[in-house]
Amino acid sequence: MTHLGREAAEVEALVTDVYLDALLAGAERAARPRDPRAIVDAAVRLASSRLTRDLPRFHPSFRFEERLALRLAERAASMRLPAAAGAEGVVVPLLSRHPAPDPAAGDEVDAALEPASERAARGRAVARPILLGGAVAASALSLAGAAFVAWRRNRGAASPMARAARAAHAARASRILRPTPGRGGPA
Amino acid sequence: MARAVFWRSGAATGVAPRLAHLDRDRPLVEAALADPTRFDALYRRYLAPVYNFAYYELGDHHAAEDATERTFLAALANLVRFRERARPADGEGASTFKVWLFRIARNVIANERRSSRRRPTVALDDAAALADPLDVERDAGRRIEAAAAWRAVGRLPEDRRRAVVLRFVDELSTAEIAGVLGRSEGAVRVLIHRALRAVARDLGSQRGPTAR
Repeated sequence: MTHLGREAAEVEALVTDVYLDALLAGAERAARPRDPRAIVDAAVRLASSRLTRDLPRFHPSFRFEERLALRLAERAASMRLPAAAGAEGVVVPLLSRHPAPDPAAGDEVDAALEPASERAARGRAVARPILLGGAVAASALSLAGAAFVAWRRNRGAASPMARAARAAHAARASRILRPTPGRGGPA
Repeated sequence: MARAVFWRSGAATGVAPRLAHLDRDRPLVEAALADPTRFDALYRRYLAPVYNFAYYELGDHHAAEDATERTFLAALANLVRFRERARPADGEGASTFKVWLFRIARNVIANERRSSRRRPTVALDDAAALADPLDVERDAGRRIEAAAAWRAVGRLPEDRRRAVVLRFVDELSTAEIAGVLGRSEGAVRVLIHRALRAVARDLGSQRGPTAR
């Protein structure tokens, strides 16, 4: 096809598109263009109105609709659990060399829709969301707290008050352990 | 109705702000992101369109139900990764969520086709004869015309048929179809225009023999 021929086809397709926009919006009368150069071909008009009128719209069965709704609700509830465990948590993308595949089409479609800057950023870091804060932070703090208490219990304090308390505790312990005459002990 | 707002894309990289059209699904998408159980509203809105798309592509109710189910499960599981990528060229009222969802459906359908190559399939022409919804239509003339339109669409090459179904059955805009099919808007317009010409020829040739 020549360049001019291709341009003419594109113009014709554009005019048809405008006509279809109006037709599908339910304004068939308005869809008839006033400009005689922009008149849509009669055969195309007929085919358009036939397809608009005759192609049936289907709806899945009520049973299927409700079954899938229930399944989605169950899945959604299980997705909500991590958030409930730590409501203040935020979902952040985790850097990954092998990002999970995008369910919405392949890369060639993404490339068509996505600006170059976003595509480059996507290549650097994507996918695998992780819940940070909330439950993770709370667990980490609990572990850190337990470790600190254990460390304090085993560590000898350096302050005079602590030394005095330790000496008093040791004296009391030795008094208890020392056998009292006449109150038992080895014969 | 879509609202036009400015939003900053890649502010850290110094990219200039650009105009984006917020589609009508944004409140529902945000609600579903905050609470996945509210995905139900999006599901109810797009169940029939996705099912229609799958049915016209696969020509079988059970396969269409399977594809619809997989589409919505994948959409729910990956909603956190959905990014609104609306551009001024997408036009007023364009829904990037709808485009994203139909792209998932397109991939699910492609996988279904690949996996069902070993299984016997029902052609679209045969499916038209089995389609229950047409049976409720008492007008025999209308039924014959509907069947003729269905056959004409069924004979189109795959890409043209897909574009016609998205345009006439699911009533997507040209920009949205371009997003779903991964083509330019101009290419989609030409695709639909050629499909209409082919359907017109087909309907004309079908009418010819019966008129005789």
